[in-house]
Amino acid sequence: MIRVEQLSKDYGGLIALRDVSFEVGRGEIAGFVGPNGAGKTTALRIIAGFIGATSGKVTVDGHDIASEPLEVRRRIGYMPEAAPLYPEMRVMEYLSFRAALKRVPRRRQVSAVSRAMQQAGVEDVAPVVIAHLSKGYRQRVGLADALVASPPLLILDEPTAGLDPNQIREVRRLIRELGKEHTVFLSTHILSEVESICDRAIVIDRGRIVAEGTLRDLQARRGAVEMELLVVDRGGRSAKLVENSPGVETIEVEALGENRLRLRVRSTDKTSPDALMESLVRILVENQVGVRGATCLKARLEDVFSELTRAETTEAGPGGAQDWSKPAG
Amino acid sequence: MNGLFPIYRREMLSLWVTPLAWILLCIFLLLQGAIFYSIVAHFSRLVDLSLDSGPVQAYFGQESIFLLLTLLLLSPALTMRLFAEERRSGTIEPLLTAPVTPVAVVLGKYLSTLSTYLMMWSPTLLYIIILRKTGAVDWGVVASSYLGIFGVGAAYLAVGTLMSAMSKSQLISLMLTVLVIFGMFVLGVGEYIFDAGLLHSICAHVSVLSQMEEFSKGVVDLRRLVFDVSLAAFCLFLTVRVVDSWRWS
Repeated sequence: MIRVEQLSKDYGGLIALRDVSFEVGRGEIAGFVGPNGAGKTTALRIIAGFIGATSGKVTVDGHDIASEPLEVRRRIGYMPEAAPLYPEMRVMEYLSFRAALKRVPRRRQVSAVSRAMQQAGVEDVAPVVIAHLSKGYRQRVGLADALVASPPLLILDEPTAGLDPNQIREVRRLIRELGKEHTVFLSTHILSEVESICDRAIVIDRGRIVAEGTLRDLQARRGAVEMELLVVDRGGRSAKLVENSPGVETIEVEALGENRLRLRVRSTDKTSPDALMESLVRILVENQVGVRGATCLKARLEDVFSELTRAETTEAGPGGAQDWSKPAG
Repeated sequence: MNGLFPIYRREMLSLWVTPLAWILLCIFLLLQGAIFYSIVAHFSRLVDLSLDSGPVQAYFGQESIFLLLTLLLLSPALTMRLFAEERRSGTIEPLLTAPVTPVAVVLGKYLSTLSTYLMMWSPTLLYIIILRKTGAVDWGVVASSYLGIFGVGAAYLAVGTLMSAMSKSQLISLMLTVLVIFGMFVLGVGEYIFDAGLLHSICAHVSVLSQMEEFSKGVVDLRRLVFDVSLAAFCLFLTVRVVDSWRWS
């Protein structure tokens, strides 16, 4: 749906994007993740046609944004950061205006507006002047605007920024719902958002793509695997047994009283954490150590993210982008 | 031209649901009423009336300096928010990422101020109707006078549209417009300063005072209208280029 090739943007000395390439497939919900100032908004603005790229090529649904800008914009429902709206207009007026602007045929405008209002949950504020709306409602009016012409592609820049937890949950649910019919490309600096909404994440840092792939791929890129074992150990041998097992790098022991221990195991072997856990449990049980629990600590995306963006600071030179969906070479 | 009409409609709505247009209308009509009243009062004291000078001619012609001074404030106030406000509040982003061309955006906005300008002038037709009750009115002169007013407004508003695109601040765009319009006005006054020659011809050509004086006598000089229209077209063309250039800033 979106194909970005070697996109660069230079704001007169400040390089916002360097040779960024990625693709977003049809029907996908893709998350564009990165710290503030990484170039997310710049990239989205270029795709939406608000600003021009210094070099590179972007096509949306096969149409080049440079040569067919109107064709591209007709296919995109774009919600800019903070969803700027005209404060003096009523919600319904605004959405009718946007529908007309996006060339929704006149006889379908009324139904298009009411459908968009219903999808975004702003029906109850339809006659309200936008200036009187809360931040959450404004954000949703922005979303309704993106939806009003039912475009195949939705581009949402930080759709949950500035909302309260309930509203965030509501908007995330809505985006997942929309993902069934539309291709969605959203940007965020909140990783849990990607975890809860997206099929795939593209991680950007300082204008470069540092990782790309499904959430599982990204999680597998974690530097180390950690697992936790709860044991009842009367002989006091468990720590030694685990430490001497193949694949175990470090171990931390925490006594919980009454012979109960918590063993935190760290391994650098990332290929098969499950096999490692099974073999550890087997060794312990065979040696009369009671195992009460075993958990593989899930690699949180936050950790992956900070590892990826940190790695980038030490790594000099270009070519930092790696496709994490393929086995690392 | 896709999007021109929705943009035009939205601009009209924004102008008239906010107090701005109403305040401007009030100030404008108060000033015009005062000017017209004093002109009529002046003529009513005259005993001998020559045919080619009456209140209508004086209002649009010899005394048009008052009228032009109100336009000096009115037109920049109408246009100052067009782009400046959208850029400051960020609404320019959803506007320009909709499937519309910059030409439609600029024209839609410009035409909304031009219609508002004409709407503000329309109550002044009452003055003519009142005059008609007490004496003869040359409708040809009335038509040509309003044509002159239309030409001047079309040019001034286009200057204002361009200046609104030049700055994110409404105040700065207002001041820039006043500066340009006032500059042109002063240039026109040069007609009375320079002796015959190139400078004199240039000044006479751009003088709004002479334009209104001619039109108020029923003399419709096409060159005047061509000047107004080409000035407007040039400013609007530049505005489209400026809007285009934002993509690359």
